[in-house]
Amino acid sequence: MSYCVNCGVELDKTARSCPLCRTPVCNPNAPVDTGSPTPFPTERKEVLPVTQLQLALLLSAMILSAAICCGIVNLFLGGELSWSLYIIGSAIVLWVCLVLPLLIHNIPILLRVVFGIIVCGLYVYLISLTLDGTHWFMGLALPIILTGGAIVILLSFLRMNVGRSILTSAIVGIGCAAVFVLLLELFIDRFNYGGWSPSWSLIALIGCVGLMIPLIVVRRIPSLRESMRRRFHT
Amino acid sequence: MAEKKRSTGWFRMDNAGLLYSAIQKERYSAVYRFSVVMKEKVQPGVLQRAVDICMPRFPGFQVRIRHGYFWNYMEQNPAPGPFVQEDMVNPCQPVRYKEDNGWLVRFFYYERRISLEVFHALADGFGAMAFLRTLLAVYLRQLGHDIPNSDGVLDVTQPPRREEVEDAYIRYAGKRAYRDPMGKTAYQNVGTSEPFYTLNVTMGFLPVDALKKLAKGYGVSITEYLTAVLLKVILDKQHRERPWKEKPVALAIPVNLRGLFPTDTLRNFILTVRPVIDPRMGEYTFPEIVSQVHHSIRQMANRQRLQAQFTFTVRIQENAFLQRLPGVFKSMFVAGRYEAEGVRPFSGTYTNPGVFRMPQEMERHVERVELILGQATVPRMHCASISCGNTMTITFAGTVKERATERDFFRFLVKEGLPVKVESNRPD
Repeated sequence: MSYCVNCGVELDKTARSCPLCRTPVCNPNAPVDTGSPTPFPTERKEVLPVTQLQLALLLSAMILSAAICCGIVNLFLGGELSWSLYIIGSAIVLWVCLVLPLLIHNIPILLRVVFGIIVCGLYVYLISLTLDGTHWFMGLALPIILTGGAIVILLSFLRMNVGRSILTSAIVGIGCAAVFVLLLELFIDRFNYGGWSPSWSLIALIGCVGLMIPLIVVRRIPSLRESMRRRFHT
Repeated sequence: MAEKKRSTGWFRMDNAGLLYSAIQKERYSAVYRFSVVMKEKVQPGVLQRAVDICMPRFPGFQVRIRHGYFWNYMEQNPAPGPFVQEDMVNPCQPVRYKEDNGWLVRFFYYERRISLEVFHALADGFGAMAFLRTLLAVYLRQLGHDIPNSDGVLDVTQPPRREEVEDAYIRYAGKRAYRDPMGKTAYQNVGTSEPFYTLNVTMGFLPVDALKKLAKGYGVSITEYLTAVLLKVILDKQHRERPWKEKPVALAIPVNLRGLFPTDTLRNFILTVRPVIDPRMGEYTFPEIVSQVHHSIRQMANRQRLQAQFTFTVRIQENAFLQRLPGVFKSMFVAGRYEAEGVRPFSGTYTNPGVFRMPQEMERHVERVELILGQATVPRMHCASISCGNTMTITFAGTVKERATERDFFRFLVKEGLPVKVESNRPD
């Protein structure tokens, strides 16, 4: 029999390492028994995921029928698709939010955000169609949606892969807000005046930078961080 | 009420059953497993015959769960099975009401081990042990051994008794209802979650006599001693993590109510008590933790308090307004309350059903008994122990990757002078 040199527990004769600390078994007097059965089975089985296809089909049918009915009524009564586009757009948003998660298990967060941006863009596009406003959609709405979406994707990515501390999140969040405000004014100015003369976005930017600098300093200096913890502890 | 409905083939669910069926999800079920390691290799054909003989004797296990409009309920399951299966590395998988013919009990074999998995809505550990004991007796009889119907082995030639399926919560609900104030959020002791579905199991085996002697040295029972060790280990773990503010460390310890309220029911009849150590009060030495646990468990597990507590939940169950609320809303409400009152105030669960009694004629065929608590709703370890003969089996099971809790626990026991043997289903 072998014992773990770290934990002091007796190990099974088939164990290659200690189950508690993963220290390899190295006992010249009692080598690992590879012939005997292990204490637990090695075959893995898994319950199948519950199929939600039926529910997805039911919801799809409900959403689709509502959209088609409204479209037909609008087409026959008004001669063209107008108000029904709002409902069709809502139906698409509902389908993506409710039915898609039923069809695809564990959609990655980034993919969810991408779907959200596409659906949001599509819905605003349908609204612009009813208002004869494809020019403002292409010139203003689409750049704003894409910029906002890109920032959300960036934030999600950073949230998953970089730090999760409150300070880091606050710094990144404020920085993203500053960039978004700057770009927002750029798009509005370009659409309205054909140029860019930053004004209110600069004020917002300065405010954000003013908030970020002390946070970065606190984040980087451990003694300050500790002091802030002390002062703001709840 | 339950007895009356039994004749028509269905049961109302008891209080605990309603809870466990309400918190059931696609990826989570309250399933636990009792295993018996025999001295000879298991014969699956014989085991299947034993299961077929035993099932009709236990109507509380021969059921499936149905969704009623107002309440979930259990009805007799006429489907073939349950069938004995070869065991797998990842036990206590979630149950699905509409799969596996609706069976909520499972039987497995592996080399010398026979395992019984039970969905907690059907029965507590006492009921499951009675079933496993009888199954084992029938299995050994099928192999030609002479096993008497004593020491908890039920006679499978007799019809089931009404008392065995009674709802003891309702029977003993008193006049006074009391609700313990909700415990403060405890240190959660969570770790990195394993991918679905992986249940890491680590078992430690130690001699009961040495453990008893050690516990006696502190003037406490084995359950109290092991609870104190687990609390100490989790307290130290929290301290090592250097949180902003340390939280109380509390365990859910199920108490078998049959000792205080005599009943023959094989369904659920348990409540939990909550021994807690609050590190905000200062540092506790191990003997101080043992003493705290000893006194707090005894203070909480008294007849009046427990009766008033389950009377409160029975009153809710019998509330006229709530009874008429659609079941789906009730399930949502119960699941929400469970999160607030059954998960957050605890750092883990530790259960010790005690000695697995059996006739002497059976004992010589059995090497040891094991108990595994299935996954928790959050990635953390649950601890369970059970003894048979002179072997105490302590099991840590959970969907968490880290091994710190069980490692520190068994190391502590080794430092206390106990010889511990460890086995695990984790890959080497």
